[in-house]
Amino acid sequence: MQSIRKSILSHVNLRRSIERWCFSGNECANMQFRYLCSSTGSGSDLILDRVIALAKNYDKINASKVTETADFQKDLNLDSLDRVELIMALEEEFSVEIPDEKADKLACCADVAKYIALARADQKIGERP
Amino acid sequence: MSLTSTAAHAARRAAQRERVRILYRRALKDTLNWAVHRHLFYDDAANLRERFEQHRHVEDLDTIDRMIEDGEATYNKWRHPDPYIVPWAPGGSKFTRNPTPPEGIEIVYNFGREDND
Repeated sequence: MQSIRKSILSHVNLRRSIERWCFSGNECANMQFRYLCSSTGSGSDLILDRVIALAKNYDKINASKVTETADFQKDLNLDSLDRVELIMALEEEFSVEIPDEKADKLACCADVAKYIALARADQKIGERP
Repeated sequence: MSLTSTAAHAARRAAQRERVRILYRRALKDTLNWAVHRHLFYDDAANLRERFEQHRHVEDLDTIDRMIEDGEATYNKWRHPDPYIVPWAPGGSKFTRNPTPPEGIEIVYNFGREDND
């Protein structure tokens, strides 16, 4: 009996806490929604900014050298496996799939941003939310 | 004679580089399929990288070929049966869901109101 009561109480508590968390700040929820919207429908400049920020965060790259057109291999001293890792991190960040043969040709941040913008455009034609 | 042999050598090296790169890419993706949490994935990815780095300075072409074949066999053996697919990529859960209506069909968003209301 005690255990049942305890389990029910914990359930109720949990539900209440979730409710409080979700609906206490309506403003907060709105902010979150807005953030989600902006992150899915971003322009090409925003995509480029995110690509550059991610490249700067990659630990084998000297962050001060990253620019739009810095070549991953020549200017940033990445070997081919590092490049594979970086491209995969970018794929996860934007949740796109880059085919193997296309991934080789992406040599700098601007290339990647262009490719992702194109992929997004294709996706919008294919399906509309 | 030596020129053609060096050219052939270079071509074979390039093909091997390509194969290694693709193998690494697929293996890395497969690692992410097996390791469901990031903290597991980082260790596994470091191990994978180490296994590739071990043979970084191997020069003999036939040895490299054999090692690539070994690597591909290992990859095929451990390939995940149900890999993660990006939702809107072909094979993903959102692929061709909710497509745009065909040409000539228009959706009127007046939420049930009639014109004469």
